[in-house]
Amino acid sequence: MDFLNTIEHNPFSQWVTNSPSVWAFPMFLFLHTTGMSIVAGGSAIIDLVLLGMWPKQPIKPLERLYPAIWVGFWINAITGTVLLCADATAKLGSLDFYLKMGFVFAGVYVLHTMRKTVFADPLLDQGPVSRNAKLWAWASLICWFGAITAGRLLAYVGPVKGAPGANT
Amino acid sequence: MNLAHIHLLVNHFPTIGTIIALGLFLVALVSNSVDLKRASLVVFFIISLITIPTYMSGNAAEEMLRGRQGVSTTAIEAHRNAAQLAVLFMELTGVVSWLGLWRFRRHSNFGRATLPAVLLLSVITMGVVGYAANLGGGIRHPEIEGSGIVAAKRTPATAQQKPAAAKELEPGGIGDYVTGEKWMWPTCETLHFVGLSLLMGVVLLIDMRMLGVVKNVSFAALHRLLPWAVLGFGINVMTGMLFFAGRSAQYTTNSVFQWKMALVILAGVNALYFTMLDETWTLKAGDDAPVMAKVMASSALFLWIAILYCGSMLPFLGGSF
Repeated sequence: MDFLNTIEHNPFSQWVTNSPSVWAFPMFLFLHTTGMSIVAGGSAIIDLVLLGMWPKQPIKPLERLYPAIWVGFWINAITGTVLLCADATAKLGSLDFYLKMGFVFAGVYVLHTMRKTVFADPLLDQGPVSRNAKLWAWASLICWFGAITAGRLLAYVGPVKGAPGANT
Repeated sequence: MNLAHIHLLVNHFPTIGTIIALGLFLVALVSNSVDLKRASLVVFFIISLITIPTYMSGNAAEEMLRGRQGVSTTAIEAHRNAAQLAVLFMELTGVVSWLGLWRFRRHSNFGRATLPAVLLLSVITMGVVGYAANLGGGIRHPEIEGSGIVAAKRTPATAQQKPAAAKELEPGGIGDYVTGEKWMWPTCETLHFVGLSLLMGVVLLIDMRMLGVVKNVSFAALHRLLPWAVLGFGINVMTGMLFFAGRSAQYTTNSVFQWKMALVILAGVNALYFTMLDETWTLKAGDDAPVMAKVMASSALFLWIAILYCGSMLPFLGGSF
């Protein structure tokens, strides 16, 4: 706990938490939301296409979405770390936080595996999407939906500092 | 100018606009004119966008009128509840109209169910919107007061009553449910983020295609994904309406929220470009997109990130929550 308190009370974390500047907490939150929409949105499009929402069209070109998704991921890794440091004792004391991180790591693993297996498959676009690829797509959808849900619930469950609607 | 002024400026658009669009649509059906059908669907879609700020500015007007001399609280609440229903039907009409435009672009026909559905929904919408407008007119027009609701609870005339403070207002109707059920707000927030992600995924892909990053895809293929973006947009409009119904005061007093709504309308109009125009439709895999398509795609991404920025800044720049 002392360690978490030290992180939470270092000058940068204090600036993030307490500064009235729009460049402090608000900007990190905005960037985190933007990164989330790029990662979850980009992944969802790939998943929906693999699940047959884009029949008779080549799927391989969608691999070009991966760099954008990784940019979104790294935005979130950085801003997420900053937001975590600013509220370390509450977040790391919340089971929901670990659930969220579980979904995020699983989602990243699924994305990575899909690229290595589905997109690297020379038979992709030569016939119907394989059953395995569809299972990965479902797993990806579940992971990112779970990450979004657990992320939003962080404001409402566990040690909460106060959130809109939480006390109503 | 405040939001009550804006409500006075735009509150006739849903009523008059629906009548005009329905008239145009009926003429199109009778004359079997494809161009008129498409035009009326565009009008329905645009009216459904304008209805969003009309409804939201109405809540601001409510806050300013409540408690004033000679203003009926019951009439305001009846108007608001009718308006909530009217918004629901208006947005449904807008979405089905958009689907008609989308389908026509793909298949050169509207499909068997789309036009009858638009006709049915628009007739219902006209009735509900007209009813809401009639109740709204009764709030400050005692000369048209008939019986029942409008006359029921006119506030006693006391000298120069102040409008009630926004925070003292009761949400009423569905708003009570949104704030009264503990799980409702977090659920709506989660769905709002899911809708945002769906929308952003499609916008991102279209932007990357138009700017040449994902060049080996025809626009016709991307066009197929547009309903997912509209589904995301629809989820966000509906959950956004629920937030608003629950805690309207914190939004109506927030200038960032007003910017957000203005940007949403622009983004909706931007979506029409990719839904129905020829310029992008003819793009084959490997083709370079025209300059206009690049500008529209970039502006779509800019608009949605700006909307996201405004949404994120609601508690910080505008003081919501």
